[in-house]
Amino acid sequence: MEKSDSFKYYQPSEKESQNSWNAGFGLSVSDRRLAFSRQASFDQAREPHTPVSINLNDPEKPLLARSVSSIDIPTGPFYSLDESNKYSGEGNGSAQKFSFLSFVFSILRIMRSGNRYMKRLFVMISLNVAYSTAELVIGLFTGRVGLVSDAFHLTFGCGLLTFSLFAMATSRKQPDRVYTYGYKRLEALSAFTNALFLLFMSFSLAVEGLHAFIQDESEHKHYLIVSAVTNLLVNLIGVWFFRNYARINLVYRNAEDMNYHSVCLHVLADSIRSAGLILASWLLSLGVQNAEVLCLGLVSVAVFMLVMPLFKASGGILLQMAPPRIPTSALSKCWRQITAREDVVEIAQARFWEFVPGHVVGSVSIQVKKGMDDRTTLQFVHGLYHDLGVQNLTVQTDDV
Amino acid sequence: MIHEAMEVQNSKHGHIIEVCGDVPAVGTSLGGRRICGEAACGFSDAKTSSKDANERSASMRKLLIAVILCVIFMSVEVVGGIKANSLAILTDAAHLLSDVAAFAISLFSLWASGWEATPHQSYGFFRIEILGALVSIQMIWLLAGILVYEAIARIINDTGEVQGFLMFVVAAFGLVVNIAMALLLGHDHGHGGHGHGHGDHGHSHGGHDEMHNHGITITTHHLPHHHHHEAKHDDEHYHAHEADHTEPLLKTCSEGEMKSIDAAKQKKQRNINVQGAYLHVLGDSIQSVGVMIGGAIIWYKPEWKIIDLICTLAFSAIVLGTTIRMLRNILEVLMESTPREIDATKLEKGLCEMHEVVAIHELHIWAITVGKVLLACHVIIKREADADMVLNKVIDYIRREYNISHVTIQIERQ
Repeated sequence: MEKSDSFKYYQPSEKESQNSWNAGFGLSVSDRRLAFSRQASFDQAREPHTPVSINLNDPEKPLLARSVSSIDIPTGPFYSLDESNKYSGEGNGSAQKFSFLSFVFSILRIMRSGNRYMKRLFVMISLNVAYSTAELVIGLFTGRVGLVSDAFHLTFGCGLLTFSLFAMATSRKQPDRVYTYGYKRLEALSAFTNALFLLFMSFSLAVEGLHAFIQDESEHKHYLIVSAVTNLLVNLIGVWFFRNYARINLVYRNAEDMNYHSVCLHVLADSIRSAGLILASWLLSLGVQNAEVLCLGLVSVAVFMLVMPLFKASGGILLQMAPPRIPTSALSKCWRQITAREDVVEIAQARFWEFVPGHVVGSVSIQVKKGMDDRTTLQFVHGLYHDLGVQNLTVQTDDV
Repeated sequence: MIHEAMEVQNSKHGHIIEVCGDVPAVGTSLGGRRICGEAACGFSDAKTSSKDANERSASMRKLLIAVILCVIFMSVEVVGGIKANSLAILTDAAHLLSDVAAFAISLFSLWASGWEATPHQSYGFFRIEILGALVSIQMIWLLAGILVYEAIARIINDTGEVQGFLMFVVAAFGLVVNIAMALLLGHDHGHGGHGHGHGDHGHSHGGHDEMHNHGITITTHHLPHHHHHEAKHDDEHYHAHEADHTEPLLKTCSEGEMKSIDAAKQKKQRNINVQGAYLHVLGDSIQSVGVMIGGAIIWYKPEWKIIDLICTLAFSAIVLGTTIRMLRNILEVLMESTPREIDATKLEKGLCEMHEVVAIHELHIWAITVGKVLLACHVIIKREADADMVLNKVIDYIRREYNISHVTIQIERQ
């Protein structure tokens, strides 16, 4: 399927996307240039089934011709009708998507072909698993409950990080019959789950602080210093791996951004927690009263503030909120431009949501006068919204 | 000609008799039903939103009762624990607190999903249900982990045999409480809610009933509903077609959303939040059973501590297993996948069989929440066909066959 000329100038390679992403880091969150430009999403050219292209500059190709327009029948295997068995095959495949075997295979695939963040995440996970098993065994043998509880906490964290890794690996799959938009949502989902876990952690730290406030059992924290220090070191390695994402407020260009950000916040929060425990021990040894309560409270509040923006952003994606990067003024401008056309009576509804950050889907329903050429209207509407960054658009024209 | 929709509830028999059905709640054009009046219309026809509200208030009532019961039991346990100075009782009170938290999340999600749609949330807030259910399930997993940790901690710190007996009693109490709440939440036969049929009407299986001919021919039938009853699907599909043919004048009535409340009760197992709360309570009872067994064993033979751990592990695994199915449903909705009950290939084939349609592409079917499905696709028609007629045909076909009412179709000519 031919893609429009307007996309020829961008062939995102992995490196280029990393570099331009890094360059773009200097821009503030509210930089409107990015909201409108076509570079807003690097994934556009990579997904052949996403259409968008209305090439208004090329006079030779007829508009909306099959070879050019978005509304083209993709020649891929997705939409051929006589492959009904393919559907059942793929349906079964998708149903087993979360089976253990596919999980193991995806791990092997990562080792071979992952991008560098996936490899780093894999290293981190193995470190964490090794450390937490060691802690569990030592705790069981020496009978220290604190070590065991810490090991459990780490294991939960590892489980989540493994889910993130799995999401990264699976999101590269092409869309199929059952998951018609693709698998990238998994990354937003894993970001949300990480954020949720961190919120739980902050809440449980607050409860622990309350507990320590009520009952004075501050002594048992002393011999966890070694474990806390090792924990801190392991997590700081993780923060170093993902140092690009160590911010609280981040502009998300694509799905991976959200996932990496969540992983970074996870290890950051863990290291803050370990640092807090070390601080509490030190203060206690200095004789400060209620040091533990203070430190736990501080850590809890810090983690909460850290995680909130990510939680809200990923929650917004999952709730199908209107894309935050497209300002409402732009949308109302489009609305006015469409209604200003002479054949359009009114716009009945226009809804937009983001599949992943950067991939906006919309459905617009307009009422037109009878007998008008819907082709020009369609092409106008598509072009207008495409400039805003809406990839998949379905426009329903009802005659009045 | 716009017919008015009337729902007459015959509370004696508990059925809904519906007289005709073109819902004038939206624009006055002939294609009224496919265009919503406002820009940010959620899923608001008059009929579905009132049905939703009924369902929602019934579920909220159940959950509210459960929360109140929980709080009462919890305070009893806290008082008893402080008096007896026992950590075990206080721990169990903490578990009940987590139950309360789970119910609170479900209640909030239920309440929030009824909010009006805004320009920022153009589809309404129905997704909050799903996210709330996800959070509940995460909590279940977290609690299972905590229980396993406690079992291990019990092994490490052994403080005497009195532990066993106390554990047993406390767990038994917790079990009774949880079973009471499971009955409350799972009891589906419509106490609370307006004139819902009593238990005997609950499960009328398929087919249609022709009833109470009042001069206007009225049909109450159960449309082919697609949710969780795959075995009966074809059967009811066939019956619905029969109903269509026998009432040609009321054709527009019998299409679309003519679900009686009985059908709604029968097709939705439970609202997903109530289901999540139910799972939570069920998981707790299973784990109470495990702790009881562990306590009994420790009481009887304090040396066999390891059995307590094995028990806890086994029961935690069982609990996690019960959540898998709901988790899968949630995941599928959140990933915007084609809902299980809709066969996309068949839909495409059916559409392409129409004369004017050349091809379909960019077909996306996805669910806002379990039960509310949307569809978007591009249809290519022959050059000389009448676009508006084809649009109507396609929309009616989809609405009739698959009961998807929120569709957006882009018609293009070849």
